Amino acid sequence: MSLQIRTVYVILAFMIGFGPEGLAAPNNKQLNIGTGQEFDTLNQLVSSASASHYLAHMTNRSLIVPNADWKWECQLCVEIPTLQNGMVKTIEEGGQKKMVVSWKIKPEAVWSDGTPVTGKDIQFSWEVGTDLKVSVGERDYYDRIESITPDPIDPKAFSMKYKKARYDYYQLSSFFVLPSHIEGPIYNKHKAQLGAYEKNSAFVVDPTRLGLSNGPYMYKEVKLGSHVTLVKNPKWYGKAAAIETVIVKVIPNTQTLEANLVSGTIDMIGELGLTFDQAIALDKRLKKQPELAKKYKVGFEESLIYEHVELNLDNPILADLRVRKALMHALDRQKLVDALFEGKQKVTHTHVHPRDVYFSDAVTKYEPNLAKAASLLDEAGWKLGSPGSPVYREKDGKRLSLTIMTTAGNKTRELVEVFIQEQFKKVGVELNINNVPPRVLFGETTPKRQFTGLAMFAQTSTPENPPISTMHSSQIPSKENGYGGQNYGGWRNKRNDEILDTVFTEFDLEKRKVLMAEQQRIYSDDVPHFPLYMRADVSVVPTNLKGYRMTGHLTQSTHWIQDWKLE
Amino acid sequence: MAAFIARRLIQTVILILLLSFASYWMMGLMPGDPLDVACQANPHCTPENLEQMKKNLGLDQPIHVRYFQWLGDLMRGDLGYSRTYRLPVTEILGPRLVNTLYLSGISLLLSLIIAIPLGVYTSLRQNSKIDYTLNMFAFAGISVPSFWLALMLIITFAVKLNWLPASGTETIGGDGMMNSFEIALDRIRYLILPVTTLSLLTIASWVRYTRAKMLETMRNDYIRTARAKGLSESRVIYRHGLRNALIPVVTVVALGFSGLFSGAVITETVFAYQGAGKLIFDSIFANDYNVAMCSFIVTSLCVMLMNLVADVLYAYLDPRISYH
Repeated sequence: MSLQIRTVYVILAFMIGFGPEGLAAPNNKQLNIGTGQEFDTLNQLVSSASASHYLAHMTNRSLIVPNADWKWECQLCVEIPTLQNGMVKTIEEGGQKKMVVSWKIKPEAVWSDGTPVTGKDIQFSWEVGTDLKVSVGERDYYDRIESITPDPIDPKAFSMKYKKARYDYYQLSSFFVLPSHIEGPIYNKHKAQLGAYEKNSAFVVDPTRLGLSNGPYMYKEVKLGSHVTLVKNPKWYGKAAAIETVIVKVIPNTQTLEANLVSGTIDMIGELGLTFDQAIALDKRLKKQPELAKKYKVGFEESLIYEHVELNLDNPILADLRVRKALMHALDRQKLVDALFEGKQKVTHTHVHPRDVYFSDAVTKYEPNLAKAASLLDEAGWKLGSPGSPVYREKDGKRLSLTIMTTAGNKTRELVEVFIQEQFKKVGVELNINNVPPRVLFGETTPKRQFTGLAMFAQTSTPENPPISTMHSSQIPSKENGYGGQNYGGWRNKRNDEILDTVFTEFDLEKRKVLMAEQQRIYSDDVPHFPLYMRADVSVVPTNLKGYRMTGHLTQSTHWIQDWKLE
Repeated sequence: MAAFIARRLIQTVILILLLSFASYWMMGLMPGDPLDVACQANPHCTPENLEQMKKNLGLDQPIHVRYFQWLGDLMRGDLGYSRTYRLPVTEILGPRLVNTLYLSGISLLLSLIIAIPLGVYTSLRQNSKIDYTLNMFAFAGISVPSFWLALMLIITFAVKLNWLPASGTETIGGDGMMNSFEIALDRIRYLILPVTTLSLLTIASWVRYTRAKMLETMRNDYIRTARAKGLSESRVIYRHGLRNALIPVVTVVALGFSGLFSGAVITETVFAYQGAGKLIFDSIFANDYNVAMCSFIVTSLCVMLMNLVADVLYAYLDPRISYH
């Protein structure tokens, strides 16, 4: 445990005895949310900060999003287009199978200045999203669309023509809808100049302007790096929000964040605040301190981010499946999560979240079994007991030695590394630790495949999304492809590639589930990675806050802020 | 003296140009642009997407091309836009620098007013109870990490006593509800804890430094001579002792003042104070060149100017020193 963490625990212990008494519970007049991360730009088309998305979820609505139950639900749209309801049609153009999807926006949906949200707004957003002169963070969502045509009669209706017929046409949660009546003139004025639109967007220069919001709240005051004040959108057409004013306060130091909570300066800490260690410590304190437990509750929600160990499969040692399987058997992951996370972050056997419709439990699970691990290593020719190396295995005079890399300074990962090192040692495998700063790991080491053995980091999956970028063999970074792709370990499996190639064109959910179950089975059989555990989102909220739910996925809790109520 | 100052100012400009290129170049050498890191964590970020974003930010150009472009813009008075916030650098950095000036300026002035008299006082009462007591506090101040001290102050004055705000720069939403006097008072309330943190640490080291220099000076022959001449003790101490002891202290204080605009990253971060320190730190790690380079110019100019001030003060304090 680092000196800093220990110090914090001592301080927290101090706080237990001396916390202020009788702080009034927050009420619906104002809710102060603390966040540890800074927001960048409020134009979500170009933003890459989670904190900015956290805010935008309160002010702007997408056509469609996955809800807290991981089911896709319409927000701006009236009905989810499907083949069954006739709103989706596949067509063939120039030998290419394409699709046309008809959408309809809720009649009551308006911007905060009362202007209706129309098909023109969607068309304009797509035009900006595909403009190469604008730095769009997730252009993939816009690039899939060939054209958007507003209905000439009904301004609320429009159709989207997709370049390829794919089942995931409805996954548009990251498609940010811009108010064309405000952003249109700005864009037209600046579109000729590289990067000029995003610097002059009203979301950047005048974020409190009426008409930018189409969600339950709108910005009242924005101070970059400090706080954002949101008030109810008077033109909000959905369920009325209960809380009058929401203030999101940036407090980058997580210890201060907690002190602010205890002192009553903030009422809650959302998903972008406390570290997992802090949340665990606070949760324990709440159990011991009934007075404190009356005020706050700590929530844990399994997230889409999974920690794993990527294996460089070009390494001759790791290229041997028997070695990979042996190492999995040597690793007691349950013991790991129990010891380090008190079981609040769960072991995962695949890359798919248990709440994802594609999740399959019919995969090979590697239970800890040292005898089996030893036997597999023996079978692979790695023998113990050489006079020169009594502890570690050898083959042809070469020690079974591997190197693991991760982000230096990340205490949790460093502890996990030591744990793995100890476990591997029990079966005669030497594991050397060579950590580098995050920028080096993610900027050089993994994208250029410079790790020789193992690299531990997190990957993010998205609901109902096959892992093309991380697991397809075409996504192995190389000099030839400009180090593109995220299949850093270099996993090649023909059947896996076939599934990932075909699953997008399969429109039957049940058949896709079968395909993805097979993909997960192949993944678990082939052991290209060591999946470790699903990371948990954490938050601390006042006990009188009702209707609050963490989702675990990228559409954060604030997207349903209209359901929040302080009783 | 005027020629010396003019020469130093010309050297300062040349040095800043050289250092600015070195800084720009070194920032460019850092592996892993934040775009790479963000893309790595996003399964929807395609290699083409990443390449296009780099192109839009000009990152596809060689470093020297980007540097001279930045320098050209700077010469025309265009500080550019922040890559992170998409806002003009002046809009972001200006208010932060002013906040940092308040924080660092007040704490440095407080430190100066408190530390030098205390240093002199303890040196004149060497090995007394008060000397031991103040030394103990000075050592504690030097040894205590700033983040720890800051947290303890927050817990005591914000969490336990609820006298002062735990963090921030000003009361949110207070602008329209307070008059100028109330706004000033509000800002002071938010400054008390961070100023105390910074001041205590600075006072501790400056007290020790002044004390040591005074002790050393008071042992010199010319002090004995001054006393032998029958000068009053206060004249001996302040005219002969302190004036000589202050020469090295001036360097330390001048360097302290040179950091007025560079901010105190840890203190600002712990107190979520809207200063320049954390912004500069973040801009370097975010490869936000325009913000980082602008901050760099301001801070290096401060260092060089304060060094020049220190050199000029040397000449004033010690007549033996002259500049040609």
